[in-house]
Amino acid sequence: MAQNDTLIKGWQPVIGLEVHVQLMTNTKLFSPAKNQFGEDANTLVDLIDLGLPGVLPVLNEGAMKQGIKFGLATNAKIAETMIFDRKNYFYPDLPKGYQITQLHYPIVRDGVVEVNGKKIRIHQAHLEEDAGKSIHDKYDDKSVIDLNRSGVPLLEIVSEPDIRSASEAVEYLKKIHQIITYLDISDGNMSQGSMRCDANVSIMKPEDKEFGTRAEIKNINSFKFVEKAINFEIRRQIKILEANGAVEQETRLYDSIKDETRSMRTKEFANDYRYFPCPDLVPTNISEEFIESVRKDMDELPEEKQERFMSTYNLNEYDAGVICADKQIANFFEEVVKDADIQLAAKWIIGDLNALLNKHDICLDESKIDAANFSELIQKITDNTISGKIAKEVLEEIWITGTKVTEVIDSKGMQQISDEGELENIIETILNENNNQVIAYKSGKDKLFGFFVGQVMKATQGKANPGLVNELLKKRLS
Amino acid sequence: MDKIELKNLLFLARINAKEEEYPEIIEKLENTFELIDEMQELDLSDLKPLNNPLELSNVSREDKGNNRNNKKKFLDNSSESDEDYFNVPKIIE
Amino acid sequence: MNFKEQRENYRLKKISAKEAVQESLVKIKNDKLNIFINHFEKQALANAEHIDNNFNDFKDKPLSGIPIAHKDIFCTEGLPTTCGSKMLENFIAPYDSTVVKNCLDAGSIMVAKTNMDEFAMGSSNETSYFGAVANPWNHDLVPGGSSGGAAACVSANITTISTGTDTGGSIRQPAALCGITGLKPTYGLVSRWGMIAFCSSMDQAGPFAKDAFGCAALLDAMASFDEKDSTSTKREDINFEKSLSKDFGTLKIGVIKNIQKLGISEDVINAYENSKTVLSGLGHKLVEVDFSELSSGICSYYVIAPAECSSNLSRFDGVKYGYRSKGEKDIANLYMNTRSDGFGAEVKKRILIGTHVLSAGFYDAYYLQAQKVRRMIKVKFENFFKDVDLIFMPTTLDQAFEKNRKSDDPNRMYKEDLLTIPANLAGLPAISFPNGFKNNLPIAGQLIGKYFGEDLLLNTTNKIQGVTDWHKMTP
Repeated sequence: MAQNDTLIKGWQPVIGLEVHVQLMTNTKLFSPAKNQFGEDANTLVDLIDLGLPGVLPVLNEGAMKQGIKFGLATNAKIAETMIFDRKNYFYPDLPKGYQITQLHYPIVRDGVVEVNGKKIRIHQAHLEEDAGKSIHDKYDDKSVIDLNRSGVPLLEIVSEPDIRSASEAVEYLKKIHQIITYLDISDGNMSQGSMRCDANVSIMKPEDKEFGTRAEIKNINSFKFVEKAINFEIRRQIKILEANGAVEQETRLYDSIKDETRSMRTKEFANDYRYFPCPDLVPTNISEEFIESVRKDMDELPEEKQERFMSTYNLNEYDAGVICADKQIANFFEEVVKDADIQLAAKWIIGDLNALLNKHDICLDESKIDAANFSELIQKITDNTISGKIAKEVLEEIWITGTKVTEVIDSKGMQQISDEGELENIIETILNENNNQVIAYKSGKDKLFGFFVGQVMKATQGKANPGLVNELLKKRLS
Repeated sequence: MDKIELKNLLFLARINAKEEEYPEIIEKLENTFELIDEMQELDLSDLKPLNNPLELSNVSREDKGNNRNNKKKFLDNSSESDEDYFNVPKIIE
Repeated sequence: MNFKEQRENYRLKKISAKEAVQESLVKIKNDKLNIFINHFEKQALANAEHIDNNFNDFKDKPLSGIPIAHKDIFCTEGLPTTCGSKMLENFIAPYDSTVVKNCLDAGSIMVAKTNMDEFAMGSSNETSYFGAVANPWNHDLVPGGSSGGAAACVSANITTISTGTDTGGSIRQPAALCGITGLKPTYGLVSRWGMIAFCSSMDQAGPFAKDAFGCAALLDAMASFDEKDSTSTKREDINFEKSLSKDFGTLKIGVIKNIQKLGISEDVINAYENSKTVLSGLGHKLVEVDFSELSSGICSYYVIAPAECSSNLSRFDGVKYGYRSKGEKDIANLYMNTRSDGFGAEVKKRILIGTHVLSAGFYDAYYLQAQKVRRMIKVKFENFFKDVDLIFMPTTLDQAFEKNRKSDDPNRMYKEDLLTIPANLAGLPAISFPNGFKNNLPIAGQLIGKYFGEDLLLNTTNKIQGVTDWHKMTP
């Protein structure tokens, strides 16, 4: 069971993740209120979301389709019959005093995703309602409740405890993120809470037959924190066990500022959720025909897209993989190459554009780069209007301002100089100013050719067409 | 049912009761369970539980909604709210 | 005056809706029986005028020009909806229940909302936060519950029809104790949208009237498929009023074998035997059915109903609406004190029972076992109905009883529902109608039908009422 390369001080971490994903739907799971982020507090609340006396839930078919899509993408079993249960607990942002979720008959079970060649099993994925938000910093003496999020559809994806290291957990999470964003199941935005993660962490000796006692770390909201929180938790548990202590089965919170997990205040009494089938809803049978109709409308998966890019665009496996890792970038690429050279576009997207995105840590949609403009940039390189070096400058410019490529080139006079007469004049001047070097070159110092090219480029601020400069220089110096 | 069990039950249900009321509550509950427990004698292991009498299935709606904003109406119904939120005592996490 | 006459008078313009409403309002204001929690003079008169002014639009509607009282469990937009509880004493619902809306569309005018056991939990109307209701036949006695106010309202001739809800007998038992006719429809015939939930898998709204005719007309108005209720059933429209005159031919009616072993009073059994004679006289064939499993229904009911209610009533926490305990410094106390002060003793008891039967370690022995008993009862009925068209049995064990009844049996009140609960567990329709009198107090019997067999229930009851006069008795 244990993999030795993941041992830490002789201990084997065992990790399972529960990922909550807010589904992209028009409306909430059981109410016709809009499912949207960032609106004014309590403006997206229907009678049902408020849990008024006498209201009843009706299942949103859209949420069901999203769940099925995830199941299909992970080769999972789609439930023949799914059933909703009530999970009972009191909290001010839970208006009904229970959450409608799926305990025994989830929409999806037994899925699998592959992370770096290793299969990580998904135990189940079930539909449930999100709670509202409690806000604690508006007043000193009160908390306040915003119910806009109340009833937003969630898919909770529960992995088997197949993960063996914090970095593998992050890879798994990235894979889940890729699937849900690829299939428009969710926007996957972790900072807005559309994707949240709980981690179950335990450690064991490699020779142990049974897992250790696990702690659950709640609500981790970035990839970076997932890694840090799990690593902290592993170290904490090692320290306890090596001091002959015992790990407590408990829920812990990750504090990203202190970089530590800490126990959530132990309740006076253990909670007991008293699950039972929700009597306001009826079982849902999911037919083969329905599943097929969902499959038909489904976008291609990353691997499928990569295959297609390799055959359609003749990209190599690596390039296609990098481009297809992010759906936004893959779509962007397809837009760009409608008019621009494929290999050059790929090179620039994988290289310079990716570098900029990474440096600023934003996704393509958040940047000022659009496909038409970027395509223009590539075309200007191809038709020798600008050199590669100038193109980098143009890219920097449009990254900051979003201005059209042609405008940047025009306003800054960045066009490549390909006029023979003009270049001949410049070459003449340079050779006159560097007479000693000309003599040295002619006496056999061939290496000085590069010096003359450099001087021409300098004099033209890099705008001279390098091929033409080479050609003209050779002719003049021969 | 002893006092600790009742205390736990009261907390789960979020209902307050004074300790001196416990014996009376316990007696009432135990009387009811005596009535209910008659069914324990039945051997029903072959039967499937029945949750809903008509055993309907497959009721869903299209993913279409409304843009109703009931904010003011809803907040007015709460005895403690401000212009934007429902208010509760400070929750310490 | 019964419903049929009242509607006829309106249609013939012998009386306006406004006059009918005024008459009811006078009686409501003089009510000494504590039947009503709120009445709505201004709105009722305005609404009556609207109906009078649009006579032609409304005259053919099933409830044209009729004042109606709704059980205070149905949400009414902009008006109080208390559910008989301190918890909702000042609650103004921001929406209409489907039942209220349907009745309005059918031409009726809501004049008042009726008293009830708190959150429909009770069989005597004594658990109401707004005080007990008196039985119109004898003011020292209870009217039954939980729809006690609604039954008393019709019995006392304040309105000719009213709405109620029946989870374990809450329409049929008060109808029986007040000497009127009340129908619990098939689960899913009437939308539960806007009806405050007690036990979601059994709650069903239904009509009260003096007779089957009034019940049929009111049910025509109440019943509808509702997309907002996932347990509502889409089916072919039946006009219940018209089906009263339909000829269903000779029926096979199941009657209870060994009825004297069920703890039913002698007077009730006598009335039952008389009704059997009436049924035979109408040409129906009576067959004995063995329903010895009947009593386990009570066990099942008093697990499932509290379980669902414990969850359904969790929303009453003081945060969004309803009663809130003041000055609480932490959230746990806000919950505990709001719920302790806002709920009455019976409601709290049922919440505790329900919480217990769902909690870890007890779920299988109680909740699951109760759901299996429920299956057993349903299967039992299915088998009966392979052979018979209807089942006939008494509605209650005895007649109306005194307030604060003392009993050696601490579970006496729960056993009150013995004969009504099976239909709720199975979701079947059942109608209770007066079938005898003793000591100037009504006695009742009930017919239980197949799923969506309301037309046959109403038709058969109507035929019985064509040859008997019990439903015409007035306190």
